[in-house]
Amino acid sequence: MLTIDDLLGVLRDQLGLPVTADHADRALDEIPGWDSLHLLWLITTLETRTGRRIAMADFLEASTLSEIHDVATR
Amino acid sequence: MEATNAPAASAVSAAPAAAAAETAPAPTGTANGTVPTGYQQLLELKSTGRLVESYPEIERLLSGLPEADLLAAGQLLRGLDAEEVAARHPQVPTVSLAVTGHGTLAALVPALAAQLARHGMAARIRPADFDSYVYDLSDPGSAVYAARADLTLCVLDPEVVFDEVPVPWQVGDVEQVFARKLRLMDTLAGTFTAVGRGTLVLNTLPLPRRYAAQLVDHASRAALGAVWREGNARLLRLAETFPALVVLDLDPMVAGGVAVSEARTDAYAKAHLSPELLAEYARQIGHLARNVAGRTKKCLAVDLDNTLWGGTLGDDGLSGIEVAETYRGEAFRAFQRVVKQLGSQGVLLAALSKNDSAPVREVFRDHPAMTLREDDFVRISANWQPKHENLERLAGELNLDVGSFVFADDSAYECGLVRRELPRVGVVRLDEEPAYHVEKLLRDGWFDTPRLTAEDRLRAVRYADELERKDFLASFDSIADYLRELDIRVRLGTVEAGEVPRVSQLTQRTNQFNMTTRRLQPADVQSLVDDPSALVLAIHSGDRFGENGLVGVILGRWRDGVLDLENFLLSCRVFSRGIEKACLAAVLRYARERGATAVHGSYRPSAKNGTVEDFYPRHGFVRCPDQAPPESGDAAASCRYYRHDLAEIIAVPDHVHLTANL
Repeated sequence: MLTIDDLLGVLRDQLGLPVTADHADRALDEIPGWDSLHLLWLITTLETRTGRRIAMADFLEASTLSEIHDVATR
Repeated sequence: MEATNAPAASAVSAAPAAAAAETAPAPTGTANGTVPTGYQQLLELKSTGRLVESYPEIERLLSGLPEADLLAAGQLLRGLDAEEVAARHPQVPTVSLAVTGHGTLAALVPALAAQLARHGMAARIRPADFDSYVYDLSDPGSAVYAARADLTLCVLDPEVVFDEVPVPWQVGDVEQVFARKLRLMDTLAGTFTAVGRGTLVLNTLPLPRRYAAQLVDHASRAALGAVWREGNARLLRLAETFPALVVLDLDPMVAGGVAVSEARTDAYAKAHLSPELLAEYARQIGHLARNVAGRTKKCLAVDLDNTLWGGTLGDDGLSGIEVAETYRGEAFRAFQRVVKQLGSQGVLLAALSKNDSAPVREVFRDHPAMTLREDDFVRISANWQPKHENLERLAGELNLDVGSFVFADDSAYECGLVRRELPRVGVVRLDEEPAYHVEKLLRDGWFDTPRLTAEDRLRAVRYADELERKDFLASFDSIADYLRELDIRVRLGTVEAGEVPRVSQLTQRTNQFNMTTRRLQPADVQSLVDDPSALVLAIHSGDRFGENGLVGVILGRWRDGVLDLENFLLSCRVFSRGIEKACLAAVLRYARERGATAVHGSYRPSAKNGTVEDFYPRHGFVRCPDQAPPESGDAAASCRYYRHDLAEIIAVPDHVHLTANL
């Protein structure tokens, strides 16, 4: 089970990004330090963590962390 | 293979699965009082904004990290400003990399950042736009050329060819497209050679199964394999034409079990090479970067018990250790053969063992099945001192920086101690399974170099001679007596065509006696040789113990009747014997005979060349503070300039027999 807090924790602990719950519904490019290149890394990391396959095409279309979380836990 | 549960089976997630196992405790690991791992300490630095400030610590933090943690560390290090690191820590070498290529290379930048940091260097990485390599390398005005990078990486993937193969296709179509791409690569490498700087790195194209398997008949499939490999072979051979080109062969990496690509990132993100393959690629680039920064490893120090042979010599005795013929014995023999092979290519070998000296020497001399013998080593150090102390002593005896050593041992304790005490030593942690020794030793290209010179193959003999000289020295009352007995011969002359690679190599390997530490690629040396206003001199030396070979270089330039010495460097094997003084005297005399009004010399301080800071003033040069720098840019700011008016020129030392042919 991956909660939205877990997702934020991954970004904090593995990318060193200063994200809080406030960032969940903001556009990804409003997150300080965010880079679109992080997405591919994040998919791999979340798949490893949850042991489930994520629909990559949907993931790449997500525009907020909440949407990413939805796709990753679907 | 169809994966039902993709993450477990997919290529992309294979390695990070290990990451999860090893990094999972990261967020909580310190709470229960355990020692934080290097990764956790790095994360702490990143979160508190201290990465730049603590950059010199990072080499130690990354040392010995598992593969997956190293990739995770890359995510923390990407985007770090190399200029800030350089400004704060002038002793940290910065290597600049321009990255271009065909597909999405998202995973490459963090992998490069981690690899360079792991080697104690800062990476200034300039990624180009997606799929812009043709423009980047064909237009001399492109951002890639403007970056003037030390290493320009052009990452190629199989889609370079298959993007242009029609559907349906036949082997002949692939052959045609590949041939076209080879002509393109030839042109790009030519343009790079003409207008680029540093080294251009291309790579072979792995052949993914998803293409070969589309052909149903074995005859066509074999033909495709042949066409593809012929294409790659021609790509590899381009490096023979262009000295500034390195072509990395990805086939051995793929053969080692690294997936070429991951289907989804390939399809959705045009990332045609897997993150694991890019990580392997970055590992090789790390060693090329070491080379650029003058940090190539030079000496391999190996443990003996359970490293070179099975068993403990002190307990099992000469006849009890396993060196061949038993199962484990054969594994140790294979390892000894690899060590010998490295030694044959200029890597100095040393043995470091906690043992009594006599039995160890007996094994090397008398054990019938040993592959390595006493004369394969420059030093066999068998005693009971801590190994880091032995390493430091050996570095002193060989006049090498201890950072140029690689240490291989099966003991976690010894490896940990050396890592802690001497973080710049490369540590290869072997374990109790000798069959893995070879791949662990070769996992990193510690001794990689773009080209081997004739000097390299003789290096071990020369260093061994040098240690004999030192022992010889110990028998004299004064250094002057010693030098007279040594019968030193020096030949100073203009560099000949065949010497260009060695001259380039000396500029890259020499750190201590290197007045301005300007590293030159072979092409840079060649253009100096071709330049009538430049003076490019080679110093050869020898003595009663043997020939030293091409050991030094003097680079000068004539400007308005003044000879400007832009660099002067001498191998650490031979300095402090009067050779440098003899050569300087000859150059000063030569300049006066040619009607020069003065000779200028420069000294640019580096982390390692402090021993020569007063070289010019000691030999009759005067500091000239207002002298306009003959070079421009940052490098000139810290440069000191000296002037010799040629009125009184130092004499060639009596004990040196100098032949100058200028």
